[in-house]
Amino acid sequence: MMTTLLQVTGLTKQFAERVVVDGIEFTLEKNTSTALIGPNGAGKTTTLSMLTGLLKPTSGSVNMLDGDLRANIGFLPQYPQFHPWLSALEFTEMTAKLNSVPARKATVEAQKTLEFVGLGNDLNKKIATFSGGMKQRLGISQAIVHKPKLLLLDEPVSALDPVGRREVLDLLKGLQQETTILYSTHILNDAEEMTDQLLFLRDGKLVEQGTLREVRQRFDEPNYVVEFSTEKEAQLFASQSELVGEARGSHVYIEIIDEKPSMQELLQHLSSCPSKIRKVERQTATLEEIFMKVARKI
Amino acid sequence: MMEELAKVPWAVIAPLIVVQIILMIVALVDLRKIHATNGPKILWVFLIIFTNIVGTIAYFIVGRKQ
Amino acid sequence: MRGFTVLLQKEFREAWRSWKFLWIPLVFALLGMTDPLTNYYMMDILNAVGNLPEGFEMLMPELMPADLLYASIGQFQTIGLLVFMATFVGAVSKERASGMATLLYVRPISFGAYFMSKFVVMSTIGFVSILAGFAASVYYTVILFGTFEIGPLVASFITYFSWLLFVIAVTLMMSATFKTVVATTCAFAVIFIGQILDTLVGAFWTISPWKLPLYGVQLIRGTMEMPDYWWSLSLTLVITIICVSLGILTMKKNASTTKI
Repeated sequence: MMTTLLQVTGLTKQFAERVVVDGIEFTLEKNTSTALIGPNGAGKTTTLSMLTGLLKPTSGSVNMLDGDLRANIGFLPQYPQFHPWLSALEFTEMTAKLNSVPARKATVEAQKTLEFVGLGNDLNKKIATFSGGMKQRLGISQAIVHKPKLLLLDEPVSALDPVGRREVLDLLKGLQQETTILYSTHILNDAEEMTDQLLFLRDGKLVEQGTLREVRQRFDEPNYVVEFSTEKEAQLFASQSELVGEARGSHVYIEIIDEKPSMQELLQHLSSCPSKIRKVERQTATLEEIFMKVARKI
Repeated sequence: MMEELAKVPWAVIAPLIVVQIILMIVALVDLRKIHATNGPKILWVFLIIFTNIVGTIAYFIVGRKQ
Repeated sequence: MRGFTVLLQKEFREAWRSWKFLWIPLVFALLGMTDPLTNYYMMDILNAVGNLPEGFEMLMPELMPADLLYASIGQFQTIGLLVFMATFVGAVSKERASGMATLLYVRPISFGAYFMSKFVVMSTIGFVSILAGFAASVYYTVILFGTFEIGPLVASFITYFSWLLFVIAVTLMMSATFKTVVATTCAFAVIFIGQILDTLVGAFWTISPWKLPLYGVQLIRGTMEMPDYWWSLSLTLVITIICVSLGILTMKKNASTTKI
């Protein structure tokens, strides 16, 4: 049973003459993960800022259906800045208290959260001495220490090295069950890994939305790929066959439009082909390719 | 010269010098512990030691990087 | 005032760990020592430095203890306030510009609480600083020149502290309203150009916050017209409260300018 947590209607932000976010609408269901994707400058950060309440929308509204928005979010900016003279524990404890976690509980919760994000051995170190990866973990800990209903993350793993990115992604996956997550990213592999809903943002407009499967179906134009040993054989096959095929290198790409050609047709062509066939494959588009299509779509 | 030095009322001047030295030490200790400064650290060491109180104040206001 | 104690603790930790509770009072102590010492040793210094002509005798005015305290206050008013304000003028604006404020502003905090936590910490450091400055000045004056009556001396100190609260309120308000550079310019203009104007053409009025430091000394001299004193003190407190209120409003209004 899905229950809606957040409802966003007609959200618009205009800076002087420039419309940065243009009337976007979506809902977030409880305990789901949503990826906000789009190229740089699409308005992802501005959208998130408005959801946090830091930035006032020019028009439109953000409604949390279950309690006060401000008290129930955790936010991680793309480049979180901390007070460097505090220790990790002091900082997390402070943020917990500011979110109305009772003082006695705050210390325990802060400690637990820091251990969860992997900073258990650095509780009392000053933030000034932290590396980028440690800061990102601390950033996550301050966003989740008060157990918010909605977690907003701006490019949570973009700045990390591959190892750090893997670890942080796993951390976030661990949170998926218990909280609603909305995160922005321009790295599609991340989105593919943990997402129930996709929001494509381009030039401030929401150009595509749906579950990963829905978006796939809409944009997935699968190919057959036939691989030959040589370029010549590939070109020969492409020119002789009645199928719409394009030879690139030793591969022939055959687009599938309305399930034409069918597998049977293809097999016929293949069986009558004199050259040696190395591999036949049906390919589905990666999110990356879908993204490129959406980004170019007018 | 020694005679001149002996005439200096040290009992009166001492607190002044002590305060200056404490300030200088505090600045140097902080400089040693701090992660990063605006400008090279060695420059601040010289400023704090040789320009007396001005360098120390300048260090605390603009030298410490947060 | 949600979160006041939490934010106050944070501000205190910052001030403490960046040595502000130590170095600013020490600077004020040095400033307080300077005038009684140089005035007392003026003849010796001149003798040591220059080859004074034979039979040269400088007419040194007879200095009263209050005159030396006033000279020390003059040091606080220029170098002291310059150092103090330069240290704190970024209190709000720098946190916004660096993005450090973001992680606090997204939480359900009260901006009144945040502003006041900064105000309280600045006031405490200010109090300790001028206490050190007054103590140093009075110590040397008593040793080298003469004694004070304790009552007027305390009154003078409290008067100067009231002026300092005004300075703090102006500084913080500017910091909440503008970016650091503009805030610095505006705060310095109000405090320092205000002082200059009050010195140049201040003879035309008697009620003004900028006159409070002088009035404090006149309490010691016993030459104060009390109505002027009370009016100036009240006016200063009223402006201080207005500045604090405005500061809280602009801090809240500018919350969206924090770097995300």
